[in-house]
Amino acid sequence: MAWLDFTILMSSVVAGATPILLATLGETITEKGGLINLSLDGSILLSAMVAFAVAFETDNLLLGFAAAAIVGALIAATVALFSLYFGQSQVAVGFVLTLMARDLAYFLGNPYSRLYGSQVTPLQIPVLSKIPILGQIFFNHNPLVYLSMVLIGFCWWYIYRTPMGLRLRSVGEQPRASYARGIDPRRLQLFYAVCGGLLVGLGGASFSLYTKPGWGRPQGAEGTGWVALALVIFGGWQPLRAAIGAYLFSFLQVLGIYLQGWLPSVPAQVFQVAPFPLMIFTLLVMYQAQKETVSQWVGDKSWMKTFVEVFSGAAPSSLGKPHHPE
Amino acid sequence: MFKKMGLALSIFFMLVFMGFLCLRPGFGAEKPFQFGLLLVGPYNDHGWSQAHFEAGEYVQKKLPGAKMIYIDKVNPADRQGITIPQLVDDMVEKGIKLIIANSDDMKDGTREAAKMHPDIHFLHISGDDVLTGKASGNLSNLMGRMEYGKMMAGFAAAMTTKTGKIGYLGPLINEETRRLVASSYLGAKYAWEKVLKKDPKELTFKVTWIGFWFNIPGVTADPTKVAQNFFNTGYDVLISGIDTTEAVVVAKQKKQEGKMVWAIPYDYIGACEGASDVCLGVPYFNWGPGYLEFIQASIAGKWKSNWIWMGPDWKNINDPDTSTVGFKPGPALSSSAKKALDSFISDLGTKKVNLFEGPLYYQDGSIFLKDGEIATDKKIWYMEQLLKGMLGQSSAK
Repeated sequence: MAWLDFTILMSSVVAGATPILLATLGETITEKGGLINLSLDGSILLSAMVAFAVAFETDNLLLGFAAAAIVGALIAATVALFSLYFGQSQVAVGFVLTLMARDLAYFLGNPYSRLYGSQVTPLQIPVLSKIPILGQIFFNHNPLVYLSMVLIGFCWWYIYRTPMGLRLRSVGEQPRASYARGIDPRRLQLFYAVCGGLLVGLGGASFSLYTKPGWGRPQGAEGTGWVALALVIFGGWQPLRAAIGAYLFSFLQVLGIYLQGWLPSVPAQVFQVAPFPLMIFTLLVMYQAQKETVSQWVGDKSWMKTFVEVFSGAAPSSLGKPHHPE
Repeated sequence: MFKKMGLALSIFFMLVFMGFLCLRPGFGAEKPFQFGLLLVGPYNDHGWSQAHFEAGEYVQKKLPGAKMIYIDKVNPADRQGITIPQLVDDMVEKGIKLIIANSDDMKDGTREAAKMHPDIHFLHISGDDVLTGKASGNLSNLMGRMEYGKMMAGFAAAMTTKTGKIGYLGPLINEETRRLVASSYLGAKYAWEKVLKKDPKELTFKVTWIGFWFNIPGVTADPTKVAQNFFNTGYDVLISGIDTTEAVVVAKQKKQEGKMVWAIPYDYIGACEGASDVCLGVPYFNWGPGYLEFIQASIAGKWKSNWIWMGPDWKNINDPDTSTVGFKPGPALSSSAKKALDSFISDLGTKKVNLFEGPLYYQDGSIFLKDGEIATDKKIWYMEQLLKGMLGQSSAK
């Protein structure tokens, strides 16, 4: 019975993490190229609304996903264009866009509020889904969940094992040097912002077509964008660690539901809010772990060294500092 | 001559002008009676707020002179820093004579606003200020006896469950929500033990609270995840106590995955629409008759500060003109269960069955009702805990 509960718990964690995982991977790619797309929260909401509305009107889920990805890409492209080519602050543009996209989603999505629409259907993977425990946790979901898991490995492989990934990292770290070697940093950053935006859009769509099917105000995706931004930092701008962060966040959310039953004397609100301060605490630990004084203090203490290494991670050197050739 | 013609023309044009004025719609007619509606959620939430919004429309239809002005999403997440007295001031400036506040959350604000505007009538839904003596003379309370609707929901759930595990998606914990969950449990228990003649030990009834009437990300537990968790852990019927549709949405999702599950939404008569394969029915509020009564009293100058708890019209609990609480059976309810439910409703109406009759115990084992004791309205209204036999938190402390 305990194993059954564990399996169900972890299966819920894997399924529930999908939207935030997609958004986190998208933002990791964007930031790895040196651009901060702060519009994530609004972008996720607008793409969630568009996905549901398009799927509802056309009765075609694929069109819903495609439309959401395009919305995410367009918003990301706007941030990139204004920052890279028009010299505007990417933080300011991203922030304004997140507010605008959120309000636009509520306004345009009003006619679709609380309607029952299409949902992604489950697809068990034959053979693999029969593996005890692991089969239930990882291979008993739908194509979207599998895609998100595949993307973790793909993103890592792409960034660290391909020439294109090397160029992506180079424009994030040293755009001037990249420019000197014949790479146009701005074009590349724009391209990866759009790629990241596509994933963010898919994250939004996975909210309204799978994780929290339907549209309404509040949709339930509110705040996810900010968490995704924090997870990128938590992950040290590495897709694998960012993915672990996404699963950890989902775990904390699901755990809150179980804890309400296990610890009835603790107010239910504590478990509901817990994932957010825990995430802030982790960011604080990461910040401290990167300080020189901390590494000096740790010295040769092996277990402490491992702990600090796990939590350390440096941002791309040129993150948020666009390269202007002139 | 020209002078006389000019005078005649002037009189003619003046008469034509006045004629136009008189023909203008509304001229000379009595000013419409404007009433305001403060909704905690969106007007189209397919739940609590939509039920109130449609009651406002009902009043406009029944009273041609009445005009509704509504403000929706009046909650701390959507309108940070906006208070009820501020919204009331704005409404009063627009000429509104009666204001309806539709959430328990608005209790303090409505009381304060009522004291600030003694000439305006206030109707606070689900509150008890009149009962506790805190209300000023221009403030009344109205609530529907949803306990009966919830008993029917619990009954339908127990008649349907195959696993004997019924879940309840609870909002926040207070007296109102406790008595509604307890009513659902009592309905389920009755069906399980008296109709199906099954072992009481084989029935599990559990409530999980999300923390508010609807999902506020980062503040409440995610009702979608709570509902998924219920279904993933063997609960096959989920009764919703929240204002939005997550229970039904997730039940549909699980049905697609091949699970035999059902859900019972709440509040709004149309909540089953589009979910015929999982919806067992919906206990709903029909606020129209109650609104109409108070607004007519206000117009006629016969307003009295009252605490009214309106029940179903037992002749026809789904009569839109007379019944404040109803239960609309859903397409997924089997014909045998529906037949038993009809009989149960009839027994409730004739008082043959009274589920709030002792002995009943609180969750901690203390006595709620002694053997043979029938609960008073006040005792039900101020339930202190969940009942013995139910799983879940009784208190937010």
